Amino acid sequence: MARDTTELSRRDVLKASGTAGAAGLAGLAGCTGGGGGSEYPPIGNYPVEGDEVVFGFNVPQSGSYSQEGADELRGYNLAKKHLNNGGGWVDSYENLSGNGVLGKTVASVEGDTATNPDTARQSAQRMINRDNAIMVSGGSSSAVAIAVQKLCQSEKVQFQCCLTHSNDTTGSECVRYSFREMFNAYMTGQALAPVLAEEYGENLKFYQLYADYSWGQTQQASMKKFFTEVGNWTQIDSVPTPLGTSDYSSYLSDVPSEETDVLVLNHYGLDAANSLPQAIEQGLKQDMEIVVPLYNRLMAEAAADSIEGIFGTADWSWQLSDQYSKTFTEAFRNEYNKVPSYAARLAYSQTVQYAAACQRADTFYPPEVIKQLENHQYSNAGLGAETMRKCDHQAQRDVLVVQGLPSDQQTESKLLRIVNQTSRDKLGYACDAGPAAECSLGPYGGENN
Amino acid sequence: MSDDADAVTDGGAVAESESAAASGGSGLASLRERDDFVVIATAAVLVVFPFLLIDVFGAIGDLTGFSIGGYSGLPSLVLIYGIVVIGFNLLLGYTGLLSFGHAAFFGSAAYSAALFSQVVPSPLLMVVVGTLVATLLAWPIGFVSIRRSGVYFAVLTLTFGQALYFYALGPGAWLTNGDNGFSDIAAHGLFFGAIPLEAPLTPLYALNSYTVIYAFTAVMMLIAVWVANRIINSPYGLIFEALGENEERVEFVGLNVFRYKLMAFIISAVFAGVGGTMFVIHEQYIHPTTGLYWIQSGDFVIMTVLGGTGSLVGPVLGAFIFEYVANVISGVSLPGIGPIGSLWRFVLGAVFVFIVWVFPRGVYGAAEDLIGLVTGGGGGDDGSEPAATDGGEAE
Repeated sequence: MARDTTELSRRDVLKASGTAGAAGLAGLAGCTGGGGGSEYPPIGNYPVEGDEVVFGFNVPQSGSYSQEGADELRGYNLAKKHLNNGGGWVDSYENLSGNGVLGKTVASVEGDTATNPDTARQSAQRMINRDNAIMVSGGSSSAVAIAVQKLCQSEKVQFQCCLTHSNDTTGSECVRYSFREMFNAYMTGQALAPVLAEEYGENLKFYQLYADYSWGQTQQASMKKFFTEVGNWTQIDSVPTPLGTSDYSSYLSDVPSEETDVLVLNHYGLDAANSLPQAIEQGLKQDMEIVVPLYNRLMAEAAADSIEGIFGTADWSWQLSDQYSKTFTEAFRNEYNKVPSYAARLAYSQTVQYAAACQRADTFYPPEVIKQLENHQYSNAGLGAETMRKCDHQAQRDVLVVQGLPSDQQTESKLLRIVNQTSRDKLGYACDAGPAAECSLGPYGGENN
Repeated sequence: MSDDADAVTDGGAVAESESAAASGGSGLASLRERDDFVVIATAAVLVVFPFLLIDVFGAIGDLTGFSIGGYSGLPSLVLIYGIVVIGFNLLLGYTGLLSFGHAAFFGSAAYSAALFSQVVPSPLLMVVVGTLVATLLAWPIGFVSIRRSGVYFAVLTLTFGQALYFYALGPGAWLTNGDNGFSDIAAHGLFFGAIPLEAPLTPLYALNSYTVIYAFTAVMMLIAVWVANRIINSPYGLIFEALGENEERVEFVGLNVFRYKLMAFIISAVFAGVGGTMFVIHEQYIHPTTGLYWIQSGDFVIMTVLGGTGSLVGPVLGAFIFEYVANVISGVSLPGIGPIGSLWRFVLGAVFVFIVWVFPRGVYGAAEDLIGLVTGGGGGDDGSEPAATDGGEAE
């Protein structure tokens, strides 16, 4: 938009004048200003001064997602440790040495998003303006990710999405300076529909409840689209529930139990932790199947007694047996004495992926780093082959379909079993279709763009 | 624990510097008698505020290893909330009405200004439009709510606020962009975009904490203080105060209590509208949770009580402490304990309890008492009222 192209950012001016001033001083003193030597113009927080490079870890530390945030933070700090001292994935990435990034030690600052977009923006602003963070990562709640990635675009600072599942993050709200490895609501629909059609049969009738905000709306739309297309199912109704509802009994008692074959609860986190047990309690499980499109640990733990046999999707699981998943799980276990959630893997992966991109670009200059990430093909993040697509910055990747275990088979760390790792070839959409059709990434910034 | 002490002294430091700027010499004594003393003192504080918050605190942070420095953007944010709570205090502190729905005016002004910017990208006109919408909204909400008093009034205002919140989040998403937040704000500069808001005010590197948006916000703040000061010192304002003290007496005098209360409500909404618009100009972003959620309304109450309800600029100190703890202290890491992070609300709560318990008149009241004690003990020949009263009590 206008802001991105015409406006001269305050910090651009500062950096430019600072550099000019430093050059002038150096000229006056007649000495060579060593250390600088950057071949690119200043932009955002580039160039990075000193021996440290600062990453900003912006996670929910208070509020209902604080457990998730704590696990993300563990992932981030583990990545920082490995980048500086080796270990984990860093040992097997050819560009990474375990000796910092581009010769600089990785330092970090932390912030609390409180799952509130504005708090998250203030926190990111502090990291960028005061602490000179070259990269900010975080998420948990798509609203937060979208708010912060917009800020990062205008500040010309890299944003690495952590946990955000809304189509809009890499759809209508996408930006050049942000990348998402996590899948989205659209892909959840694509992954779930065939498995459910096979499991429950075709020509069924389904009924949806959805949390009435952006994520819930896109989620229920995706479910409708793919259930109708793949299994030839028919939707009876799709009913919005206000975000943060604690008592779903009136919505659940409206579900026509004779007609309905499948009930889809498009709720996440605390909402799902409330709606799912209430649905079981009302005896709906006897009359129909229940589906929870996106699992997370908070919900699985809170509703552990109710998740038996219930299908959903997840980003990743420590139960995967490939080399990278195992390495990460082991390193995480050694460090924290527990198994990582998928939020932790995302956090870890985002940090390491960014560092590797800087190494490949041989600079922290954001436009070059972005170009390294665009169309980057990799298979070293625990999910098989992945491509970070250039047109919308959405990773093309496999999605796990999972199912809740019966109570007697559950352990503290194992609540779900993996049903299927749906191949990325069966998922996704073209650059001019689905959510990507609404995406325009905006400028790289810098001189030639 | 050291941090809540930090926050308190921080708040105190600003208060002291404010009064120090004014009551430093005996030559300034006559200044204190002036009606617009508070405006002049505020102006003085506004001049040093970003330097103090970003550069001085930043330097202290570098020396001590605690990252307590502010960041560019924080001074403006404090002033924006300051404008809101000055108005809120006219309602709560003077008229004695506790509204729990002022986010409705803050948020609706922010959204309407943001939408308007797409038609006319002028920050100045955005302020006009945003404030107008907040004012027009306040009239019906006030008209209905003020018929009840006490907790019923609070709950009615809360209800209106929450209704708008859920509308903006769900059904109204076509207008507000719902949970994705609204960021298509087209106004980035003053005077037809000639002066970018984010640009530094001067080319001097040493003064880089001062931005155009800060100057703009500071001017709005000064206007807000001036207007509020005029209202408080007018006969009209005296009736507000009388309403807060004893509503029945005002009624017996023959004044239309309902009309005055409604007016106080609308005036406070005007301030909230200005604040909301300035917020969206400053942040270039607005989300239902920030703009309209009841927690935002609650934050206004906390800021006001923290700073001191009985004084004009006291609530601004509350806004400062609140935003400072929320956005800076929350990022501090303590040796041995680790990052404060999730504990910032706890820290804020501790500060709040401490202030309300020890200084019921808020931070400003405490500072005023302290200064009164010092100057009152020194001589007591200056004509300023609080010092004279204190001196009288001491003798």
